[in-house]
Amino acid sequence: MKIGLEMHVALPTKSKLFCSCSTEQVEEPNVNICPICMGFPGSRPVLNAEAVRIAKAIATVLKCEVKDKISFIRKIYFYPDLPKSFQITQLSEAIGSKGSLAITDKDVGIRRIQIEEDPAKIVRQDNYSLIDFNRSGVPLVEIVTEPDIASEDELKEAVSTLRSVLYYIGVDVEQEVKTDLNISLGDERVEIKNVTGVRNLIYAAEYEIKRQGEIVQKGKQPEKETRSFDEQTRTTKSSRKKESEEEYGFIYEPDLTDYETSGLKVGEPIIPHEEAARISSEFGFSYKTVLELISFDRNSLSLLSKSAGKFDQKAVISTLEDLKKFDSTGIGQEGFEKLVRMSADGVTITQSIVSGIKSGREVTVKRATQDEIDAAITELLTKDRTLLEKYKENKNVVNFIVGQISRKYGLQPKDVLDRIKFIIQRMSDN
Amino acid sequence: MEKKEFDALLENCRLSLDESEYERIKADVDEIIKYFDQIDSIGTGDYKEAFHPVEIPGEYRNDDPKKFEDVKGILENTKTHRLFVLGPKI
Amino acid sequence: MKSYIKEFESMDKPSGYYTELVGNLESLNTELNAFNVINKELKDGLPFSVKDNLCVKGVESRASSKILKGYIPPFDATVVSRFKEKGFGFLGKTNMDEFGFGTFGTNSEKMARNPFDPAYTAGGSSSGAAIATSIMKYHAAIAESTGGSISAPAAFCGVVGFTPTYGVISRHGLIDYSNSLDKIGFMSRSSADTRIMFDAARGRDPKDSTSLDAEIKNTKYTKLTVINQLMDGVDKDVSDRFEKLLGKLEQQGFAINRVDLPEISAAIPAYYIISMAEASTNLARYTGFKYGAKVEDFSLSYNDFFKQARTNFGTEAKRRVILGTFVRSASVRSKYYNKALKLRAMLIDRMKRVLADSMLISPTMPVKTPRLDLIEKLTPVQVYSMDVLTASPNLCGFPHISFPYDYADGMPLGVQIVADHFQDHSLMSFTDKWEESFEYKFKHNLGEL
Repeated sequence: MKIGLEMHVALPTKSKLFCSCSTEQVEEPNVNICPICMGFPGSRPVLNAEAVRIAKAIATVLKCEVKDKISFIRKIYFYPDLPKSFQITQLSEAIGSKGSLAITDKDVGIRRIQIEEDPAKIVRQDNYSLIDFNRSGVPLVEIVTEPDIASEDELKEAVSTLRSVLYYIGVDVEQEVKTDLNISLGDERVEIKNVTGVRNLIYAAEYEIKRQGEIVQKGKQPEKETRSFDEQTRTTKSSRKKESEEEYGFIYEPDLTDYETSGLKVGEPIIPHEEAARISSEFGFSYKTVLELISFDRNSLSLLSKSAGKFDQKAVISTLEDLKKFDSTGIGQEGFEKLVRMSADGVTITQSIVSGIKSGREVTVKRATQDEIDAAITELLTKDRTLLEKYKENKNVVNFIVGQISRKYGLQPKDVLDRIKFIIQRMSDN
Repeated sequence: MEKKEFDALLENCRLSLDESEYERIKADVDEIIKYFDQIDSIGTGDYKEAFHPVEIPGEYRNDDPKKFEDVKGILENTKTHRLFVLGPKI
Repeated sequence: MKSYIKEFESMDKPSGYYTELVGNLESLNTELNAFNVINKELKDGLPFSVKDNLCVKGVESRASSKILKGYIPPFDATVVSRFKEKGFGFLGKTNMDEFGFGTFGTNSEKMARNPFDPAYTAGGSSSGAAIATSIMKYHAAIAESTGGSISAPAAFCGVVGFTPTYGVISRHGLIDYSNSLDKIGFMSRSSADTRIMFDAARGRDPKDSTSLDAEIKNTKYTKLTVINQLMDGVDKDVSDRFEKLLGKLEQQGFAINRVDLPEISAAIPAYYIISMAEASTNLARYTGFKYGAKVEDFSLSYNDFFKQARTNFGTEAKRRVILGTFVRSASVRSKYYNKALKLRAMLIDRMKRVLADSMLISPTMPVKTPRLDLIEKLTPVQVYSMDVLTASPNLCGFPHISFPYDYADGMPLGVQIVADHFQDHSLMSFTDKWEESFEYKFKHNLGEL
C-alpha cells in the first residue's frame, strides 16, 4: 500500500499572498477584496515577505533543501472560483524539496513545499453559484509527501505529527484544511481530490483502502482515476476529470521575478517528537505521555523542560495534565513550580487556584485538621447510610464519596482519601 | 495538426469556433506552427532561459494589511446576489 | 529643441479652447477612428490620451475588445496617475488592435485610418495614439509596445514613437498582452516632448514587481550599426531611401557600421511564441461574469458559460489563445516556449555586443505604408513578418525610437534607432539632433493656438 498526501495549509499572515487585503475570514462576503485578488485586468501581484518566511520555516523544520532564490509559475485551469483562471504556484522553483517527516517506524519523504494562492469560496446553487472572494489570495503552503505511508495507522501518525510540527511554527492546521490523497493498493495511482478536514481525510483513506483492497482481492487492478469524497456517506466516487499536466500548460509567472530567501529569519526549529524523546530519556518520563502533553502545547513543553528533574515526575506530569483542564495561558515557570509543590502536597488544582497564581496573588489552601476531616466523613456517612452499603458492594464508590465530602465541606480530596478507609473501617467495626 | 488534437486544444482554451472560423483558424494555426518550427535549426548553446529581458531584483512587500479604497467600484463591475458575486453553475 | 508641451504650458488658452478641441476631435474621429472614448469634460491641462489597454479609473477600458465591454476599472494605471499629478488633462482612450494583437490597427471593431490618407493603414497596435499625435498639435500620448506596437504606427503616421527599456515604466494598470514583453511608451511630435513624458512616468512602482529604479544614461554615440540580415526583407524603395539617410548621417559625422547577425532571424518566431504563450494565460481570465461583457444565463454549466463568453474574442485573439496554449502544452513546451526563452537570452547577449559602442539603425517598417484593402489579403504569417525590424529590440527589451526621416508620395517613412538597456536618453539626444535638420510634416493641427 502506498499513500501520499498533498496538504494545503493556510499561513498565518495578516495580509494576502499577493495583495494587501486582510486575510481575516469575516462572515460578510466580498469585503476583503481588491483588483489583485479578484484578478481584475491591469492588476498584478506583489509578494508578501511574511508568507515566504513562514514557508521557509516549514521547509526548514521538515528538513528540506531550502532554495536561496524562489520564483513562481502559472498553473492554468478554468473554474469559477479561480479569478485569473490560473493559480500562481510553484513546482521545481518551490521553496523546499527533498525533506522528511519522522514517524515511529520510518521517515516519510517530503517531495516539495510550495507556496501558492488560495482560490475563492464558492457556494453551489441549483442554477448559478455564489462566490466570495474574501478567501481568494490567502497564502497557502502545499506540502507534498512521497507515497511512503504504508498503512492507516501510519497515515494517522503522519498527519498528527505533521500538525504538531506545524503548530510549533505557529501554523494551525485548520478544520477546513484541504488535502489531496493518493492511494494505490494496485499498480495505478488513485487520487482523491479536495478532502476537507483531518477527520474526513482518515475516513476517505479508510474507505478507499477497503474499496481498492476488494478489487485487488478479486485479482483485478484499481483503475487510475481521480475521485472525490462524499462527507455524508463517507465514500469516494469517480469525479470530474481535472486538467492533466499537458493541459495545465505551466509557464513562468512573468509579473514576478526571483526572490532571495536567505534574508528571511526563521527561529530554531522545534520538532515536538524529538523534544519528547529528549525529555523522556533525560528525566525518565514516558515518551508517549510527554508527547501527548506537548504535541499542541508550547507552554507545556517549556514548563516541562524547565521543571523536569527538579521535582517528582508524577507531580510534574499530573500538574501539567491538570493545567490542560483550565485556561492556563500565562502561567509562568514560577507559578507552575508553585502548583507542582502544591500538587505534590496533595492539593487538587482548581481553576480558582490557577487564576490566583496567574494574577500573582499569594494562593493559600486552607487545610483541615485530622479531627475536622474525620468528623466530616463520619457525619456524611452517618446521614446517608446507603453510601456505606454501596461501598461494600463496589470499592470504587470510594472516589464518588470522596468527591461528595470534599465538595460539601471544602476539603482537599487527597486529605479525605487518606482518612476515609480508616473511618469506614471504624464505622463498620462499630 | 490532427482534427482530434485541434479539438482537444480548443476545449482546453474554452473556445468554440463556428464553421467558417474553424476551417480558417485551423489552417492558420498549422501554417504558423510550421513557421515557428524554423527555430529548431538555431542552436542556443549554454544559454539559460531569459524570463525577463533585464535583471529585476525581487522586492518583497511587508505584511501590512490595507483596505482597498474602492470595493464598491469593484463590485459594480459584477452581478451580485446577497453580496456574493454571481457565477455560473458548477 | 522644440517642445510643444512647454509651449502649450506657457501660452494663454482662449476661453472655449477645450470645447472646440473636443468638438473638432469628435468630428475627425468619425473618419479616422483614433479614439474609443473622448472626455468631453476636459477643461484644463495639456491634453493626454491613453491607449485603451491602460486602466483609467471610472472610464471604460477595454483594450478595444468586445469581451471587456463595460469594464470600469476602480483604479488608475500608475502612468496615468503620474500624468494627472503632473497637471495633464485626460482627453480620452485611443483605439488599438484588440489586446495589442496586430501590426496594422485592423483588429478592432472600428478600423483605424491613416491621417495622411484614410485609405491607408495607421499601423498598430497603438493606432489611435499615433493618429491622435499626428492630428493634434498640443497633446501627449501614452502608448504601449509588446513587439513593435509603438514603432509601427509612429512610422506610418509620421510621429515620434518611443519604447523604453523593459521595466523602467510601471505596468500597473496595463491590461496585459505579454507581461515579459509589454512596455509602456509614448508618442509625440518632438523628441523633447518624449523626454518630458518619459521622465514623468518612469521609476519604480511598488505595484509592479517588475518595475525598476534604473539610472538612465545619456551617451553620445558616434557609430550606427546596420544588421545586414535585417535589410534582406526590406522593400527596394524603402531601402534606397534608407541608404540615402545613412549617407546624410555620415555627412553629419556618424560612422556607419555593417555587421552580420544571422541568428536575428529567430527574433520573430521567438517573440511570437513567448508573447502568445503569455497572452493565452492572460486571456484565460475573460470568462464572462466578473467584469466586461456578461453571459446572462448562469444556469449554463461553467465550461459552456465560459465558452459562450469567449466567443467575444476577435479572430486574431482566438488564434493567439490557441497557439499560445499549444506552445506551452507539456509535450511541446521545451521545443517552443523554453527554446524561445533561450533564444531571447542568446539574442540579448549577441545584440549587446553590437550595442556596446553603437546604436542600431534600420527602417522602422520593411514596407511603405500599405493600403487597408491590401492588408486584408495578407496571411497571418505575412503580417507577422512585417515585424522583422521591430521584433528584436522588443523581444530583448532594448529601448528604441522611431521618427520620420522622409516622405514618399506624401506618406511618412520612419527610421528606428535601438540602444542598449537603460540608454533611453541617448536615443532622445540623437533624435534632438536629427530634428535640427529635419522638419516633420502634419496634415492636421487640431488645437493650434
